[in-house]
Amino acid sequence: MDALAEPVGAVDAVAWRFALEGAKARLAGLAVRRAGANRFGVTDHEVRTALSTESGGSGDGEPFAWTARTARRSIGVGAVRLLSTGSARSPLEAVRSRLDESSRWVREGSSSATQLDRWVDGLSAAGRAAVGAEAVTWATRLWCALDWSSFSSPPEIGRDHWWDSPHSALLALRGRADVRTDGAHLVVLSGPRRGSVRAELALVTLVESLRLRGDGGPGRVVGWWPDSGHLVRVEPGPATLTLAAEAVELALGGAGASLRSAA
Amino acid sequence: MVLVAPRPLLRPAPPEVAAADGGTGAEVLALLRGDTATRPRFDPGLAGGLRAWLEDAAYDVVVARGEHAPPIFLGPRQLLGSHDEQQDDSGAATDRRDTARLVHALLRQLVHTGEIHDPLADALDALRASGDEAAVRQMESLAPAARTALAETLALHARNLLALVPRFAPGWMPRTNDRVAIPLAGGRIVLHGMFDLVVGLPQPRTASLCALGLSTGGPWAVARRSLHYLSLLETLRSGAPPFRLALLESASGRYGVEDVREEHLRAIASHIAAWLAQPGAAHG
Repeated sequence: MDALAEPVGAVDAVAWRFALEGAKARLAGLAVRRAGANRFGVTDHEVRTALSTESGGSGDGEPFAWTARTARRSIGVGAVRLLSTGSARSPLEAVRSRLDESSRWVREGSSSATQLDRWVDGLSAAGRAAVGAEAVTWATRLWCALDWSSFSSPPEIGRDHWWDSPHSALLALRGRADVRTDGAHLVVLSGPRRGSVRAELALVTLVESLRLRGDGGPGRVVGWWPDSGHLVRVEPGPATLTLAAEAVELALGGAGASLRSAA
Repeated sequence: MVLVAPRPLLRPAPPEVAAADGGTGAEVLALLRGDTATRPRFDPGLAGGLRAWLEDAAYDVVVARGEHAPPIFLGPRQLLGSHDEQQDDSGAATDRRDTARLVHALLRQLVHTGEIHDPLADALDALRASGDEAAVRQMESLAPAARTALAETLALHARNLLALVPRFAPGWMPRTNDRVAIPLAGGRIVLHGMFDLVVGLPQPRTASLCALGLSTGGPWAVARRSLHYLSLLETLRSGAPPFRLALLESASGRYGVEDVREEHLRAIASHIAAWLAQPGAAHG
């Protein structure tokens, strides 16, 4: 996937700083407005939901539950980590190891055990096979899509990055990426192509920009649909920051009607 | 149409490949492997030509529907003529659909664990883990006689699956339910489908995959065309189709293996273009 390795174009530093300060100011305003409300983390899911022009059908209104489908990414990225370090030789072996790890953590009472690990551990062998099968397909697609030997340093796999608002402990933004290299972030996408996808990916840029210390840029964000092989690139420019900040505002129920109509 | 007839193993399976317990799975495996020197080659421009053909047909539909109409999602059921079965709410059709879902769950289990213990219990557990509690409850509440009949039907399918499905070494990268969705006309029309099982390492613009389809009933010809349809989608996704296809019929134990040929892809593309050109296509 060349899109991860290609150099990022030059960005006007003044325009960038202006856009970043603008985004910070907008987020500060949102944090103040939400004072007293419950903690609210804005993720790509909230952005997608806020910008969606469709209603129903996607199950967005249903409460979250672990299923083979909702667990596939968490287990899949764990498996790809094992593959990238050479701890497993194939996605099938890697997923089996990851599922065994869940059971071991739960059995040993490890502090690493999550709700997902406990759910996996409680499944029958056939249920685990169904969960494993879904994760194997997810992991195989990602593992086969990249030339892992081409990265100059080991990529970071499946780590979400959070930014906590300095103005309010109630507001946090999450940037989800499945593979992070020195200059790019790959996000595995599912579902149909949609108008909101650039805003979803721009959120990754915004979170990286807000977390940055010192020099350097946030890098390109590449969205990839394994179902179709299509890519969408979001370059780190001032317009991307503005887009993301508007999307966050819309997700929090603020303005951004123009953004909704654009989606 | 050329189906490769079942025949004895051409050569022993290499040590890293565990053959199915019965001889049939090993035969399927040997036929899928075939002789690497005789694997079909595809014109590098084929995918672009097929896409251009379908984009033209899709564009006409978008013009007729209006650019802002919601997208149409078309799968093999609509495009290949088994749509009526899906619309059929009769008890028999519902039973067939339930059986198909359960047998597909058993295929995934077999590929990933190599075992099926209690076909009905295993399949229901798989459905439950997939979040389909309603279907599980409905099947668990069947009258004892109906439940026994379902268990016997599944046991038959499971026996055939155990005999037919090769046990792929992990290095073959077997994966199940590999979904393909190809947007046309900027996403206004989406062709979609799902490979039951794919093996092989994907290589851009090279036919390097084998695909296996599972038919739990229904006409063989429709299931075979469905595999050709999926091969077309894979061509549009990665630039090359799978080089070989296997169709396994779990009710009867019948199977066939064939090479993918350009004429298969052209025939399906032509069918889809004609389908899109029909007056009702604009309504999805």
